[in-house]
Amino acid sequence: MLVFIFRRLLVAIGVAITVSIISFMLLHLSGDLATAIAGPESTADQVEEIRVAFGLDKPIIQQYFSWLISAVQLDFGRSYYFQDTVMDLISERLPITLTLGALALGIATFVAIPLGVLAAIKQDTWIDRLALMIAVVGQAMPSFWFALTLIVVFAVNLHWLPAGGNSTWMHFILPAIALGYYAMPAMMRLTRTGMLEVLGSDYIRTARSKGLSETSVVFKHALRNAVIPVVALAAVELGFMLGGSIVIESVFSLKGLGQLAWDAISRNDYPVVQAVVLIIAVFYIALNFVADVINAMLDPRLRVR
Amino acid sequence: MMEKSRSHRFTLRKTLLNSLITCAIASSASAWADKSNDTLVYASDSEPENVSPYHNNLREGVILSHMAWDTLAFRDPSTSEYKPLLAESWEWEDSTHLVFKLRKGVKFHNGDDFSAEDVAFTFNYVVSPESKIVTRKNVDWIDHAEIVDDYTVRLVLVKPFPAALEYLSGPTPIYPAKYFKEVGIEGYSKAPIGTGPYKITKVLTGEGVNLERNDGYFKDSPIPKPAIKKLEFRVIPDPDARLAQLMTGDIDWIWRVPSDQADQMKMMPGLDVKSAETMRIGYLRIDTVSETLKDSPFNNKLVREAVNHAIDRDAFSQDLIRGGSRSVYTPCFPTQFGCDTEAAKKYEYDVDKAKALLAEAGYPDGFETEFYAYRERDLAEAMMGYLSEIGIKANLHFMKYAALRTDQRAGKVPLSFQTWGSYSVNDASAITSVFFKGGIDDSAKDDAVIKLLDTADSSVDPDTRKKAYSQAIKRISEEAYWVPMFSYSSNYAFSDTLQFTPYPDELPRFYESTWK
Amino acid sequence: MSQTLSNSTSSSPVSALSGPEASGLPVVPEWRRALNKFLGHRGLFIGSVILGFIVLAAIFAPWLAPHDPYVQNISQRMIPPIWHEKGTWEHILGTDKLGRDYLSRLLYGARISLTIGLTAALISGVIGTTLGVLAGYFGGRTDAVISYIITTRLALPVLLVALAMAALVGGSLEMVIILLGLLLWDRFAVVARSTTQQLRDAEFIASAKVLGASTSYILIRELLPNILSALIVVITLEMAHAILLEATLSFLGLGVQPPLPSWGLMVSEGKAYMFFQPWVIAIPGITLMILVLAINLVGDGLRDMNAPEGRN
Repeated sequence: MLVFIFRRLLVAIGVAITVSIISFMLLHLSGDLATAIAGPESTADQVEEIRVAFGLDKPIIQQYFSWLISAVQLDFGRSYYFQDTVMDLISERLPITLTLGALALGIATFVAIPLGVLAAIKQDTWIDRLALMIAVVGQAMPSFWFALTLIVVFAVNLHWLPAGGNSTWMHFILPAIALGYYAMPAMMRLTRTGMLEVLGSDYIRTARSKGLSETSVVFKHALRNAVIPVVALAAVELGFMLGGSIVIESVFSLKGLGQLAWDAISRNDYPVVQAVVLIIAVFYIALNFVADVINAMLDPRLRVR
Repeated sequence: MMEKSRSHRFTLRKTLLNSLITCAIASSASAWADKSNDTLVYASDSEPENVSPYHNNLREGVILSHMAWDTLAFRDPSTSEYKPLLAESWEWEDSTHLVFKLRKGVKFHNGDDFSAEDVAFTFNYVVSPESKIVTRKNVDWIDHAEIVDDYTVRLVLVKPFPAALEYLSGPTPIYPAKYFKEVGIEGYSKAPIGTGPYKITKVLTGEGVNLERNDGYFKDSPIPKPAIKKLEFRVIPDPDARLAQLMTGDIDWIWRVPSDQADQMKMMPGLDVKSAETMRIGYLRIDTVSETLKDSPFNNKLVREAVNHAIDRDAFSQDLIRGGSRSVYTPCFPTQFGCDTEAAKKYEYDVDKAKALLAEAGYPDGFETEFYAYRERDLAEAMMGYLSEIGIKANLHFMKYAALRTDQRAGKVPLSFQTWGSYSVNDASAITSVFFKGGIDDSAKDDAVIKLLDTADSSVDPDTRKKAYSQAIKRISEEAYWVPMFSYSSNYAFSDTLQFTPYPDELPRFYESTWK
Repeated sequence: MSQTLSNSTSSSPVSALSGPEASGLPVVPEWRRALNKFLGHRGLFIGSVILGFIVLAAIFAPWLAPHDPYVQNISQRMIPPIWHEKGTWEHILGTDKLGRDYLSRLLYGARISLTIGLTAALISGVIGTTLGVLAGYFGGRTDAVISYIITTRLALPVLLVALAMAALVGGSLEMVIILLGLLLWDRFAVVARSTTQQLRDAEFIASAKVLGASTSYILIRELLPNILSALIVVITLEMAHAILLEATLSFLGLGVQPPLPSWGLMVSEGKAYMFFQPWVIAIPGITLMILVLAINLVGDGLRDMNAPEGRN
């Protein structure tokens, strides 16, 4: 098991380094950095001065390593647009995106697991079909459109919840629903399959034959086993949500990481863009690693491979 | 705001801690802002890259500048009279020397006394190249400033500049010399201070700015002491999100509401809508000078004329913008001094003529061009529609203003939809001279025009000025360097608990607002 | 976005690579049994019918559309659809803010969505299948390298990278297709790899080897046809994914550029009217949803036909 974890960890670190190369390239594809830093009104001499001062005249490999060393220390340089360092901007925004992600995941879990369990218990009834339909529709609805619909209905027409901003916890509800909705179908399906599998297993049959009540069988024995892979999936989904929150944040004008990235993209502020890409990717890699470990603990077959 | 000296590791720890706290209690900031807690929340689309007024050229920055800073003189928006503000009086020694007697007892927000040193420092700083201010035209008529005594300053002009007072009551706020030298531009952009009726309490980068009433504001100011205690400026890039948040009561005031939505909002309870014409005009900028664009079809005058004929200006002003918008043919706003509407050629909407001109220019089947815009995507799309009618296929690049400006100065922008509000300066020099006097954003660099505008800007005699502007406008218009299209109206929508009066100079004066 | 995994059978991309259960064994059904199944499978049937309608509408858009979708008429702007009391038969779904016929734009928009979905799925299909087959067939170091590439690709936030790249090169139809094609190949690779692994030691491959067939012959003529049915399921899923992503990119203003009538762009343009004239976003939004739903139903149905044991 330890060997497995160690190997997975190595892979994760390797992937993180590869991703860092990609996001480094992203910055360099965006044009001449010295010109960008110097600003539009600078002379050619000033540009050259900056090129030397920022080490941009060095070979690209050397630049990458000095960038990586700073990046590991969470120093991503300075925004082209604002007077702030990239890290200042990110540390202001990250909590908002994390709150949104956590809340969205919470909502998705609290809907998906009961629905999945219900669908499994009542297999092939209308409840099962309804659950499946919700899942299928959920996968088909464009997230930005769903978010807009939520605003029109619950904020503007019913006045139940605020339409945007992030000053109170109420402001997070609609965005979290919009974001969580997309993680829900996969989690529900997995709960359902897991439950069906477990409910048909020998050991549940034994439990039933012992005369345990159906509630006890379902909740105490079956659910506990069926839910662990869902937890692993939830970790992965959280990673996706951090990447996908850009749309939701823009629609709800939540000042999170996604909005920061989007604003930065439209202002050609590439130091910010690359930092956000890297941070989200690293989060994702870490969450995936967690998911892998959970899955491996469950399924010893995986460890051999 | 994070202190620079702290290590990044600490930043990270703080971030994690923050997220935990945020997760637990989901943010602590103020709840609904309105009359009950004496906070007016206003929202707009862009955040100034730097709150320091000389270092951005966004309207949001101009608003903040008038709220937290004072200028030497004050132009009364209703009478257009110049009144003393930080200066008690002024006198022209000759056509290039202007002496100001300054007001005593004025304090900056940090308690420092205001004196001649601050004025001299401000002007000498902004004219220096190191200051890297954004709109150099606003101050390039100043050579330097001299301290005469503690409360007297002499402004030395490069050459006669009759519009001086107009500028000195607009885009030239006075900075605190001592404080600015201490913190530098970087520190100043995060914690700026001025002498204005409101003080900036917090700059939230990319999110907004919080302001609070300056209770020590000097009594004799022509600007009234504000009635509303707190202001919050929020950046909400998405126009529809602004609308939604106004309707749900999260924010109290928005502007630039499209007329279609403004008409609907007038019927909603709890909201007030007011429209006012503004000095901002929308125009197509055509690059005819960049080396990178030397093969551009727009270098042909006939093509530029064709574009001028292709746009139905009345459709924009009467159908799309409405609310007092007018069709514009001049490279300036008609009420501005020197903006002679008679001098400009009136290009009527005529598709056939436009097509004929294009054919004559050698493009019978039209051509393809890149097209840039940063505001009102729907208007940009309508322009593309008109261009396509005469066979010009425009590929839209929609981006933020700062990015557009960078690309434009790099010579990548053959055609763009732009707008200019003249910094609310009621003088043609604030627009025509900014874009046609050979500066960095001059898309024509026409020597004849540059010479005429030089005369117009530096002459003391109003008639000479008028004549020179007229000739410049005539030449710009005949050469079709620009496609002036329409003036903007601004629709303001706000909570009906708020008393608010809009002015045509597109400068909301929140210090005049009260709760009903 | 979350769709990447929602449909995949296994919970994490890394374990998807190693999991033996990634996809059901491909069955080669005789066509009659398939037809019966098809008619019996409600989801597949409904999905195919809807999809068929949309495809026909897209193909025949120039004949079906009552107006030119690009011609603006400022005096005829914001006419409501026919069911509204102010609607007219002249413009059945009304007009947009520039007076362009909404129905015509919707029909032409179907072309854009389908073109992007299909071509992007094909590009990514070629990339992903090639990588997956190579990894599955050769195993060992090849497999390790390719698995590593797949894992790296999965770690990149698709939407963010797509937006950043779109901003760099500028949005256009071709750009969106290429970009999505280059980004969405991961699931093809995962499925191709695991199905190939299962078939690698099958008898027909072994006999082809004995007969002295070249590796490329084995891969293309023997192996590929046998994993195709599994890949077709992935194509449908990735088509849906690409269509949604295009809509999202266009909605954010970095995808297909106006005046092209992409459905995502139509929602974005109609957004200003959503509070007072909600049909402006409802029409393209619901159409988009129906299209993706239909494709997903077809995909799910095809998967069920391949692996009849379980719905998941």
